[in-house]
Amino acid sequence: MNSMTQEEPKNIEPTANLASQAVDLSPPETPDAPPRQATEQSEVRHAETPTSDHLLGLNTMVEIDDLSFSYDMGKTNTLKNISLNIPEKQVTAFIGPSGCGKSTLIRCLNRMNDLVETSCITNGEIRIMGQHIHAKSVSPIELRKQVGMVFQKYNPFPKSIYDNVAYGLRIQGIKKKNLLDEAVEKSLRGAALWDEVKDRLKDSALGLSGGQQQRLCIARTIAVQPKVILMDEPCSALDPIATAKVEELIMELRRDFTIVIVTHSMQQASRISDHTAFFYLGELIEYGKTDMIFSNPNQKQTEDYISGRFG
Amino acid sequence: MAKQKSSNNPFCKKQRGTPTNEIFQYGFFSFATYCILLCALVIFGKIIWEGTPVLLRKGSDFITTKPQTLSVVEAVESEGIEIPTENFDNILGSNDDDALPFANIEEFQKAFAFKRFSLLPGSVIGEGYLKNIEQQNEGFFLIYTERNTENPVGFTVESDKSISLKTPEFEQLQSLAPDLLPDEISTREIQLNDHKVTIAKGEYAMSKTAHDALVPTQLIFQMRQGFPDDEPDKICQSVVPETQTITIDSTTYFAAFDEDENGTLPIEAEEQLPKKTTFHQFTLSKGNYSAPLPVLAILAKQGIATQHNLTRGSIVVNLDNPTELILPAADYDQLLTANPGIKVEGVADFEQKADYTRFDLTKDAEIRIDIEDLEALNRANQESGKFKISSEHTHSYSGGGILGPIVGTALLVIICMVVALFTGIAAATFLNEYARKGAFTKSIRLAMLKLAGVPSIVFGLFGLGLFVMLAPSLTSTPHTESKLSIPLAPIASTPQLRVVEDKKIHMETRELTTSEVVSAAKANNQAYFYDGWTYLSFQGWGTCMLAGGFTLAIMVLPVIITSCEESLRAVPMGFREASLALGATKWQSIRTAVLPYALPGILTASVLGITRVAGETAPIMFTAAAAERSDLPWEAVQATGFAAFVEFLQQSVQALPYHIYTVAGRIPQSEYTEPMQFGSVLIFMLIVMALAGLSIWLRIHFRNKIKW
Ligand SMILES: Nc1ncnc2c1ncn2[C@@H]1O[C@H](COP(=O)(O)OP(=O)(O)OP(=O)(O)O)[C@@H](O)[C@H]1O
Ligand SMILES: [Mg+2]
Repeated sequence: MNSMTQEEPKNIEPTANLASQAVDLSPPETPDAPPRQATEQSEVRHAETPTSDHLLGLNTMVEIDDLSFSYDMGKTNTLKNISLNIPEKQVTAFIGPSGCGKSTLIRCLNRMNDLVETSCITNGEIRIMGQHIHAKSVSPIELRKQVGMVFQKYNPFPKSIYDNVAYGLRIQGIKKKNLLDEAVEKSLRGAALWDEVKDRLKDSALGLSGGQQQRLCIARTIAVQPKVILMDEPCSALDPIATAKVEELIMELRRDFTIVIVTHSMQQASRISDHTAFFYLGELIEYGKTDMIFSNPNQKQTEDYISGRFG
Repeated sequence: MAKQKSSNNPFCKKQRGTPTNEIFQYGFFSFATYCILLCALVIFGKIIWEGTPVLLRKGSDFITTKPQTLSVVEAVESEGIEIPTENFDNILGSNDDDALPFANIEEFQKAFAFKRFSLLPGSVIGEGYLKNIEQQNEGFFLIYTERNTENPVGFTVESDKSISLKTPEFEQLQSLAPDLLPDEISTREIQLNDHKVTIAKGEYAMSKTAHDALVPTQLIFQMRQGFPDDEPDKICQSVVPETQTITIDSTTYFAAFDEDENGTLPIEAEEQLPKKTTFHQFTLSKGNYSAPLPVLAILAKQGIATQHNLTRGSIVVNLDNPTELILPAADYDQLLTANPGIKVEGVADFEQKADYTRFDLTKDAEIRIDIEDLEALNRANQESGKFKISSEHTHSYSGGGILGPIVGTALLVIICMVVALFTGIAAATFLNEYARKGAFTKSIRLAMLKLAGVPSIVFGLFGLGLFVMLAPSLTSTPHTESKLSIPLAPIASTPQLRVVEDKKIHMETRELTTSEVVSAAKANNQAYFYDGWTYLSFQGWGTCMLAGGFTLAIMVLPVIITSCEESLRAVPMGFREASLALGATKWQSIRTAVLPYALPGILTASVLGITRVAGETAPIMFTAAAAERSDLPWEAVQATGFAAFVEFLQQSVQALPYHIYTVAGRIPQSEYTEPMQFGSVLIFMLIVMALAGLSIWLRIHFRNKIKW
């Protein structure tokens, strides 16, 4: 853990520290950050639970610890006592029937649920890179710079392709043309979109195809150099070919980023993810290596869901 | 056969009455619809039918000239009438072409003698003469700081004039200007009785003549209000606190108690005191004279024309450098004789040529002519005496064009929209993006719905109360009627003399409390006071475009806020989320990912708002609009820098709907006032329709362009 938080920035993006040159992207070293000891303890505890066996030997990026979450000031819990660790630089898939709380959980990770006024964490906590993200000293703005998100409905701004990718950097106050140019190209290359759009950077992003728009949104997200990328059903609005491209891209991205993806497609989950978590009615039913979950699930519910018997 | 058929027909008509009913309903609804259409057609058709010829005749002049009084003159047949070509064209535009018996129309160039000269610093010059120079030289405006009463002033006696003076005045003349008096002076004694009058305690109406006559006497009385400069005929209310008896001479008596006139005090009892008055009589021969100011003051009462200010004295020209100016040669000569203290250099003659038209009037004719054109016509033919009129009657506001109202409406709309959009967008953003959805926002929305239904006249009164009479302003010369003035800080500079005179500022240098200064100012009939402090004064902004713009803004605010909110709501949630997920702060995301995409909708709505605002009469009636205003708002501004902008905003304006109300409803109607009515209404309709069209175009344009 110790080594992770401190050395990560250098290891993750060997070529592009450009954003971090202008703005310090590493999490603020606040005095009231929980002591390392505590994090190590929790890791130990999770390692003992049977579901966490598959994580042995991997660095943990996100720790969700006994989390309960409510949309209505604690009257009913949408998420119930969820504990799970998400390993670094791996693809973790969340699957489960509609309404089971996958989006809710993923939106907890970058505090997007703060936008819902009546939402609250009723129990437990989330730690990302060892930092309790609902602590007072954590700014959701800084958190979201580190934990990016790609939405189900691709939503590029009605601006040019270039402006879309540069958006995140511009709001961080980066104005230098050459820095922006460099970052835009790198992000678009990273999102495997560069060759398709390099001649029309000034054109409106709305002129792109759906798959291209979604990849543009991914490019926009990686432009701010997050540690974690959350993807909420990124392919659900795309046709199979566009889906294949995005999946290919996700496989590429897992080298540099920790990826959490929500998906309804079992095939997709099995193709691209390293780990899979299955949720049902706000509870984590099973979590393990993807091959394990798909070939030999522990729980009956999981098996039923995967084999398409409900959900 | 038919019966057979109908029994087979499953859809055969069952009820007898139905067909007639259907026809009746159809008829009723279509009648109602066509009725409305017909009415609209008749009204718009009439406006277009009557208005178009006016616009065609007057051409672009109609929207580039200011409204003025229309004169209808009976001109006498004559030959060789001269007039500046510009005015001649105006006359043609004001009349039906075939109505004018003009003949032998020919254009020519007429030359006028002018003088160019440099006015030197330190010159002493009379007020009227200075104003004439300022009028002839655009951009020259002297903020003088000093008056001079010592310097002799000049005057001209046009023809031998017999003067008759009472002893005290004669003696003053004798001592001050003995050179003026000829050898031959006759003395006459006339029985002019003094009057001893008693005036009972009470409240009376008083005219300015009576007021001026009574002020120097011993009568103690108080005015309820002051006489405004621009309304010399106004009758004001005065209070005589107790019954008094005073002795006055006959001149005062006749001025103050003239029975034929309105606004004279009733006399309780009166008694004549026999008295003989000596008059000294002499003849002032034709020529130019120079004498101390008091002498001119005495002679002016005897009918010597002068443009000097007889009570305040001449003005010391405080220029830094010699300033080059021009004047018509005749005015220049008059200037030099009337102002012995003037210093000029580099005097040069030059000629200014102007386009003139000469024409004959083949028979007596009725001519419609704007008052300015009539003045030009009279001036041009003064010497030749060729233009004569047998009768004249005038119609206010019915001549000229509608430049003033158009400009005023535009300014009001601009101010209104700036204010309304600024607050409207802010409020809508708050309600839609920041405020928690709950009872509070609901009640605000409800209040706004209610506000949208308030009659506009109520907004007018609201604006009058709040912006015209109460709104705070920062000033060093607060109004004496200010509701509350809070002294903030002492200031170093004192207002310039000219400002003090023009604005009627009471200057107080003693250390007094504010209320004492205010009462001193009121006692002196001054509107403003100055005692060296900057005040935050709740005196309102006066009747001005700022107050009008704010009132209109408050009126459209509900509409603007509602449509802004709608536009904001139409921006997909995804934009906000995407922006926030990229690490934007709330404001950043609103600024870069919400407002820009709401703007088209806001723009469309605000153009519609403009249409509504431009047409409102009631809210501006009390707050901004002036029926009569001869200059455009910026032409009256005299300050410089930021103060000029503030002064500009504090100008009253004419406005198109109010102008239409005036010409169509407030002045006596006649065939002569009609062209102006139809012309203004047509223009107004065109403007409003253009705005509505723009709004529709914007809506379609943005709808095609934006697809998310
Ligand atoms: N903003 C919200 N306010 C209140 N309740 C919400 C809100 N968003 C989601 N919910 C509720 O929370 C529960 C979980 O929703 P969530 O969107 O997390 O499901 P999901 O697993 O993502 O489903 P899907 O696969 O259909 O996207 C649902 O019952 C939903 O009705
Ligand atoms: Mg979901």
